[in-house]
Amino acid sequence: MLPKFDVLTDEQINKIHKNSLKILQEIGVEFSYDPAIEVFKKHGQRVEGHRVFLDPDFVENMVEKAPAQFTLHARNPEHNLVCGGENVIYMPGYGAPFVYDADGGKRDATMADYDNFVKLAGASKNMHMTGGTVVEPTDVEDEIRHLKMAYSHIINSDKCFMGSSSGYEHAMDSIKLTAVLHGGMDVIKEKPALICLVNSVTPLKYDDRMLGGLMAYAETGQPMVIASLVMAGSTGPATMAGALSLQNAEVLAGITLTQCINPGTPVVYGSTSAVTDMSTGSLSIGNPENALFTSASAQFSRFYGVPCRGGGGLTDAKTVDAQAGYESMMVLFAASTTGVNFVLHTAGILQYYMAMSYEKFMVDDEIAGMVLRYLKGFDTDSDEKMAYDVIEAVGPGGHFLTQKHTRKNFKTEFFRPALSDRQSFDGWSKDSLDTNQRAKLKWQEVLANYTPPELDPAIKEKVEAFIEKRSKELLK
Amino acid sequence: MNPIFEEIKDAIVEGDEDLAIELAEKVVAEGIDPVQAVQLGFIKGIEEVGAAWTSGEAFLPDVMMAADAMKAGMDVLEEVLAAGEGDGAYEDKGKIVLGTVEGDIHDIGKNIVGALLTSAGFKVYDIGIDQKAEDFVAKADEVGARIIAASSLLTTTMKSQKVLVEYLDAQKLRDKYKVIIGGGPTSAKWGEDIGADGWAETADEAVELCKKLLG
Ligand code: B12
Repeated sequence: MLPKFDVLTDEQINKIHKNSLKILQEIGVEFSYDPAIEVFKKHGQRVEGHRVFLDPDFVENMVEKAPAQFTLHARNPEHNLVCGGENVIYMPGYGAPFVYDADGGKRDATMADYDNFVKLAGASKNMHMTGGTVVEPTDVEDEIRHLKMAYSHIINSDKCFMGSSSGYEHAMDSIKLTAVLHGGMDVIKEKPALICLVNSVTPLKYDDRMLGGLMAYAETGQPMVIASLVMAGSTGPATMAGALSLQNAEVLAGITLTQCINPGTPVVYGSTSAVTDMSTGSLSIGNPENALFTSASAQFSRFYGVPCRGGGGLTDAKTVDAQAGYESMMVLFAASTTGVNFVLHTAGILQYYMAMSYEKFMVDDEIAGMVLRYLKGFDTDSDEKMAYDVIEAVGPGGHFLTQKHTRKNFKTEFFRPALSDRQSFDGWSKDSLDTNQRAKLKWQEVLANYTPPELDPAIKEKVEAFIEKRSKELLK
Repeated sequence: MNPIFEEIKDAIVEGDEDLAIELAEKVVAEGIDPVQAVQLGFIKGIEEVGAAWTSGEAFLPDVMMAADAMKAGMDVLEEVLAAGEGDGAYEDKGKIVLGTVEGDIHDIGKNIVGALLTSAGFKVYDIGIDQKAEDFVAKADEVGARIIAASSLLTTTMKSQKVLVEYLDAQKLRDKYKVIIGGGPTSAKWGEDIGADGWAETADEAVELCKKLLG
């Protein structure tokens, strides 16, 4: 693995850290959820109404309790993931209400799209897990959406996935369902198997729903991402250092709460901060500022000793064009090379989280493969890899194409594109397909050839029984 | 021309809310023609900002701060204008109640829509986030609005826009108001499905929509 590079000096880290602690102590954070307020009171923090003022030493002590890394367990242990350290975990986009298709069409996302994206992630060797809320399935009642979504992940793949954080009740449903899959609540308490996304409400608030979710995951020892999305210029200051200080304060407050509830609960420091387009007010994510926030967040995570979430194949483009490609590569590359561990939104996102696209998913999957190869860097461990002997054997003027050494090594040393076109002009011009069109053929092929890994029928029955029972109760 | 009108215009262009209030108070205190203050001061200023926005020279903070300054100053003049003081009469282009629907706290888009409507000469009553159908309608009734504008950013709260239309139906008030909707996950089709009078994708289009509906 390549060494991760820094974007902030130690002095800058310190200055921003101090600024965040001052925000927490003097301005405070609003927690709308009473049980959270009780927790802070019990820990001797100053509370006025729903505003909590956090003592700097207390925050530092609490954050210290969070583990530097943890293992997330999949139903197939081969897909268990270590979150933290040098590792990087890729997965599909999260939360988009629309699907954009190859010829520029726009439609509401459905449950069928949901299953398809889970399958594409299941089939991909670059996606380490199948993610969560891969699209918003608008054709399913919201009372039971979380159950249907979890079922899709369970049945269509054996990789790790994410659960609902939308309120205590829905969060508990997805945790209990995961427990059914893994053999009981005590099993997943020991071996965490579900992770969720908890967002602050920038600036400086946490709402009921998210806090309910947070408490459910913390109580049951399941990991969660605590993330802040500062839109610099609208929900946060227009300076990079100011926006970062604000984001950092919010994430620290969230992490502090998790550690008060259950010390040692695995948490991931999350950032999706980016900028506001000052002409339209829309969020803009495919830019150097987002890449910088992402890399700075990775560095802050190292500073606090927790894993980091950030980045992704992020773009503001509406279709799979050059903009989609260069923006996504910039943000994913920055995230991966500066130490982000958990990359939500790696594949599929178009137009600042508003849409998923099958074609974009394939493009991002390719980008992910390229970046993963880059991260492996140079292997200089053996004589074989240093290749002196083969250089000697060929000598001046020969070629390496017919050497055993070549045949043995190129497959593992070279990245093999699945989507990019490397043909001659004549070869390419037979069909003259651009990336968008090739990607469309590719995802159709992958889906047609995908067989989901089998699930033990006895477990499947229990999972389905749980969902049926809860659905009945929730739809009453 | 009274030099104060130029000062008011500049205060709007600068987005200086305090100064706009101060100057409006001076207009009232010194008995200066309030209609002229509006036409030659406030509106001139906001039009200038609006033109700069359209041509891409001005950015959101310019427009939104100008709209805030305009609103603050106009509030000061409200009483004298209502009393019919001044030469001729000033009337806003129409009253609009604007808010984010129940269960939803996204408000950046709504605020931008509000600012652009204000700068286009509409009188906007922003009732804030997480608002029930009853709240929209009560405010519209109170201020005599003709348009109710509802923003929603979540697929799970879009149905509150439908609830709003249904509430108006149930109260037999549907003909009294035009209902327009917007926000990220909404669409023209959704607007039609729920029987809204209009939908707009952007704040600029929202202004055009309101002009059309009240035109
Ligand atoms: C910023 C943001 C937040 C901020 C909001 C801060 C604030 N003060 O508003 C915070 C962090 C609080 C937040 C919270 C949540 N959010 Co949010 N958020 C966004 C984000 C990134 C940007 C929204 C925005 O402000 N856009 C910029 C403005 C200018 O655009 P706009 O609102 O669409 O408005 C324009 C037009 O739509 C139109 N318009 C708007 N209103 C109206 C009204 C009328 C009448 C008309 C005519 C026109 C009109 O004019 C505006 C200007 O052109 C979007 C993703 C996105 N790219 O949009 C997600 C997004 C909307 N959020 C999402 C979600 C899921 C949530 C949360 C549930 C938690 C989470 N997972 O993040 C909570 C819900 C809180 C709640 N109860 O409402 C999802 C929604 C998915 C879905 N199911 O619909 C999105 C799409 C992100 C995603 N892909 O996951 N969010």
